[in-house]
Amino acid sequence: MARKLTAPLILVAVACLASAGIGRGQTLQRLTVQAFLLSADTMQPQVDVPFHVVVTLHVRERVSAINNLQLPMLAQLELLGDERQTVTDPRGTQYREVVTVVVHDAGRFAIAPATLQAIDARDGKPKQWFTNDLPLSVHSSATHIANGVAAGLFRDIARIVAALIWLALLVGAALLMIFLLRRRTPGAPVPVAEPVSYQRMPSEAEQRRHQIEDALLVLRAERTRSAAVRVRAAVWRIIGAPEGETLGDVLRRPGCSEGPLRDLLVALERSAFTYDEDLAAAVDDAGAALERYAEALT
Amino acid sequence: MTVERQPGDLRAALAKTIVGQEGVLEALLLALLSNGHVLLEGPPGLAKTLACRSLAAALEGDFKRIQFTPDLLPSDIVGTRIFDQRESRFATVLGPIFANVVLADEINRAPAKVQSALLEAMQERQVTIGPESHVLPDPFVVMATMNPLDSEGTYALPIAQMDRFLMKINVGYPTREEELQILDRFAMADTQPVRCVATLDDVRAWRAAAHAVHVDEKLKRYIVDLVAITRAAQSVAVKSAGGACLKAAELIDYGASPRATLALAFLARGRALLDGRDFALPDDVRAVAAPALRHRIGFNYRLATENVSADVVIDAMIAAIPAP
Repeated sequence: MARKLTAPLILVAVACLASAGIGRGQTLQRLTVQAFLLSADTMQPQVDVPFHVVVTLHVRERVSAINNLQLPMLAQLELLGDERQTVTDPRGTQYREVVTVVVHDAGRFAIAPATLQAIDARDGKPKQWFTNDLPLSVHSSATHIANGVAAGLFRDIARIVAALIWLALLVGAALLMIFLLRRRTPGAPVPVAEPVSYQRMPSEAEQRRHQIEDALLVLRAERTRSAAVRVRAAVWRIIGAPEGETLGDVLRRPGCSEGPLRDLLVALERSAFTYDEDLAAAVDDAGAALERYAEALT
Repeated sequence: MTVERQPGDLRAALAKTIVGQEGVLEALLLALLSNGHVLLEGPPGLAKTLACRSLAAALEGDFKRIQFTPDLLPSDIVGTRIFDQRESRFATVLGPIFANVVLADEINRAPAKVQSALLEAMQERQVTIGPESHVLPDPFVVMATMNPLDSEGTYALPIAQMDRFLMKINVGYPTREEELQILDRFAMADTQPVRCVATLDDVRAWRAAAHAVHVDEKLKRYIVDLVAITRAAQSVAVKSAGGACLKAAELIDYGASPRATLALAFLARGRALLDGRDFALPDDVRAVAAPALRHRIGFNYRLATENVSADVVIDAMIAAIPAP
């Protein structure tokens, strides 16, 4: 159980960290989004076999980092690694994040789109971009082998060989085209793509509610001191409280001294510092307080 | 049906007599819960004696006040043996230190041997008079005062002796509103200390409860970090009155002892109990950090020459350690 929960916990923390800046009124980056994609190296991963989910973003501007990019909630997956790369060249910036994951249960599910919040440099308006979603069909190893045997080993080999030939031809053609294009039009600008999708940017209260709901999921799934401490830290980030402050400092912040938020902060403090025998009751209280606060945000 | 008395009841009772001075009242209660003693520094007339007397009255305990003077002798505090002519033998007369709440007024006016007698009694909780040892009453709280305005003819307390005090409180003047309340309470009416809010047995029970208050591992590390930074404060910057930026380490000769670590834990547990909790929080540690540390740090001459307040340095060091 604990293994499966690692990904949601870390991703909740990453998401909270990424969005906490917006909650504090951080300035959005001014970007011209040219491509924003979510992909995986297989759409039919096998149970307990690691694979990669890749977020690719290309913007016209040359920036050192991409802020306010939120990964989807990978609740069904276990996170094994996360590698980010930002490459800047005269044509703009290519951001690539490769998340190595593994899934432990067979079935079909979809990974929700990743989101990016930025000022669209084309019209100066704040927007939210979404990638495509990613439907996955997870096979158990036994199913896969059974299907393979049933389909016939020979047919599989023939398909693989044919696919490899096609792939080699395609790659060769693509390389040739790239070579010719680069020689003819050096430094030609990358064609401008429309944003993959566009919709109203969620309000701060909506974002905060989603984050609180995520935190509630984490606390319900893992009723440990460690989870309570992480949820406490995530909630502090959501409300813009820096690490290293005490509860007293946080309660003195505007809007934190009364109502459901105060109850939530007090309950989380108790779950983080109470004695072991009281932990279960403290986590229950913290969960109830999270629910009440999420309701208050709707 | 009996209603269990809580330390908060005692605080509420003291607040009915004493206007403001929450720091002094809390320090008295924390000392009571943590089995320690308090050093108060502040000008005269700030209700220090009244606070002690009120505490003793609220607890049905004994209260004694000792005015320290240059001609005071140790026997004036702990007691002495006198020859009883009728019985033809020596009899022991116990000194004023045998009380539950003792106010040692202007402790720095007495010479070192008298200070030592008091501080040894505070530490050992017993005194030896002639061949006999006498155990001091339980609970036993000493509240010692020092007057910062008038230093002529005083004997400074060495840091090693100040370390025996659990905490040091700087007593300030009341606010205008508080002073108006003082007028109403004592000039326009005859306010008497509230009596018998709790018993000495209650205090012993509270002390046991405070001892059982949970201190999380994260909090223990926080306490140790707070004390450790007083010994190596190179990374802490403070501003002098002239605007110069100084390293706190340049102003400190030596940091707090491990006794400060213990004091922080005792006081945090006491504060948690006062707040009705059976587990301590970072807020408890931070609230008691300055009173527990300020008399245990050896500041050097630069503190005075650079015109920096010791509390400014201590606050900067506390702020430099992030709470868990």
